[in-house]
Amino acid sequence: MGLLEGIKKYSQENPAINTQNKEAFSMFLELGFPTKNDEEWKYTSLKKIISKEYKIENKGEKINENEITESSLGLGEKIIFLNGELLRNPEISGVTVTKKTNNNPKYHDAITALNAAYAKNGYNIVVKKNTQITEPLEILFLTKNASNNFIQYNNSILLQENSSIKILENIKNLTQNLCFTNTKTEIKINNGGVLELNKIQDYSDSQFLIDNTNIVQDSKSCSTINTMLLGGAFTRNNLSFIQNGAHCESNMNGITVLNNNEFGDHHTYIDHKNEKCESNEMYKGVYAGKSNGVFNGKIMVRPDAQKINAFQANNNLLLSDDCSINSKPQLEIYADDVKCSHGCTIGQLDEKALFYMRTRGISEKDARQILTFAFVAEALEKITVPSLYEKSKALIEAKLNVSLSI
Amino acid sequence: MLKIENLNAGVEETKILNGINLTVKPGEVHAIMGPNGSGKSTLSSVIAGSDDYEVTSGSVSFYGDDLLSLDPDERAHKGVFLSFQYPVEIPGISVSNFIKAAITEKRKKIGLKPISAKELLSKMREKMALLNIKPGYLSRNMNEGFSGGEKKRNEIFQMAMLEPKLSILDETDSGLDIDALKTVAAGVNKLKNEENATIIITHYQRLLDYIIPDFVHVLHNGRIIKSGGKELAKELELNGYDWITKEADKKWGC
Repeated sequence: MGLLEGIKKYSQENPAINTQNKEAFSMFLELGFPTKNDEEWKYTSLKKIISKEYKIENKGEKINENEITESSLGLGEKIIFLNGELLRNPEISGVTVTKKTNNNPKYHDAITALNAAYAKNGYNIVVKKNTQITEPLEILFLTKNASNNFIQYNNSILLQENSSIKILENIKNLTQNLCFTNTKTEIKINNGGVLELNKIQDYSDSQFLIDNTNIVQDSKSCSTINTMLLGGAFTRNNLSFIQNGAHCESNMNGITVLNNNEFGDHHTYIDHKNEKCESNEMYKGVYAGKSNGVFNGKIMVRPDAQKINAFQANNNLLLSDDCSINSKPQLEIYADDVKCSHGCTIGQLDEKALFYMRTRGISEKDARQILTFAFVAEALEKITVPSLYEKSKALIEAKLNVSLSI
Repeated sequence: MLKIENLNAGVEETKILNGINLTVKPGEVHAIMGPNGSGKSTLSSVIAGSDDYEVTSGSVSFYGDDLLSLDPDERAHKGVFLSFQYPVEIPGISVSNFIKAAITEKRKKIGLKPISAKELLSKMREKMALLNIKPGYLSRNMNEGFSGGEKKRNEIFQMAMLEPKLSILDETDSGLDIDALKTVAAGVNKLKNEENATIIITHYQRLLDYIIPDFVHVLHNGRIIKSGGKELAKELELNGYDWITKEADKKWGC
């Protein structure tokens, strides 16, 4: 039984609770899982993933403290989910962390509709007005299951006026059984709020993920989303920003390093609706083996969004003959006094630089690894939590088999 | 130290070097001069191990080793250094990390124990002082956004750190103003000793006012057509290359 049949069966046993959930579910059923005929999924196939059999929202096994410690990146306060259930939430002064209730969910396509209909788990973070949280908050989603599991999270983050927080999201599957996670996070940043959200996606081959993160920003707010995609059989990140207020800043940085048969897809959307705002987007991709990547970056500049500055870059390195990247920038500009730039490159390592390094005594293998690391380093610098920067650097170095610290 | 015999090299069908013969001994400074397109940069690239050029015949030996059979990094480990005419920008890697990678690997390959971070840093500071390099330079990305002068100074800095036996300075004077030229030349002179040798490749005589060569060779159509002492460089500066190349063209029939 494939996932669609599984979900249908689950819905008969667990009817949707309220009208919104019901409407969302019927939208999902009507649309079904997206296929390659859908423009947004042209290069991204769910076929293999949804043909597998999963238990839906299955209760899993117990976990011990060691497993938590090993999975954690070891940063400050933690919110821990196990198999969808909230296991632990910290008490932080100025922040409330509660379990999310799935009332009045928003959705706009089949995947988010499915999430809206049946996601029962997730966190709800509210950072109170004028509160600056200096210690980063780690959110750990763990699965430990005796069978393949399909699991959905529906999260929300609210930054009240002039508050700030740095968050790290980390998903870990502790077994060889497949875990397909469909997660959706709604973020609202009120006037003057500052958010840094880091996603560390160093998944095993048994983890599949569709991540939907939607951010709405009021005036003078700033959001930075850093996505480190360093593994996993299938990862699709849908990241969107809506700039409602003036003088907003939205930053998105991505590092993708994939090998073997891994697949990673970044779909980003920035909606400039107000004036004097900025958006900066830098995605670096390194593909080796038979890995495949997709980048789709859309920038919308509405008529009222005068004097905005939008920058987008997607640079890719292909290290083998069997890997690929499909990169597509999309710009729609309806305002005349704006500065928009975008660039997409796909290439190999610079042969001149390789020769230069070798004349200094660096072996070809090392020179290739160092240059590859140097290629992604620019995006890595955007992580402002020092311990997380070090951790991410170590993960990337390990993936590229390079050591560069002095 | 270095012995080049009847070296012929080119790119695909085009022959660039047509039988170069050159012997360099420890402690010597050789200048190779010649008009544009005479093969100067090809010669330095071939010695350093670029695979852009194919060596069709001849030999290059370095302390008895067949240099042409070695990879560029192996040549560096033996003590060959090329200061590039156009140093390559490498964004994302700092000068200090670059130098560290080069020195660590060289020490490993020649069987020396690794240098400590502290020792390395103090050596870098010492060499920076020698070349009038400002602090903050070590954390800049390799050649990225460097001015022409800074790039050339960075080449000599690497040379100072790597302590090669043979340094080839390919058009090190190009793009330098007179002050930068003096600093770079003073650096090269300070690094000179009886054990090492330098080959200066240049179009103009200018640099040779500051680094005095023991031998000057004129390269034309891929051949050394005249060799002499330092006075040859002065003569070329005064009279140009024509008088000497015409004579050679008659002799070799081009």
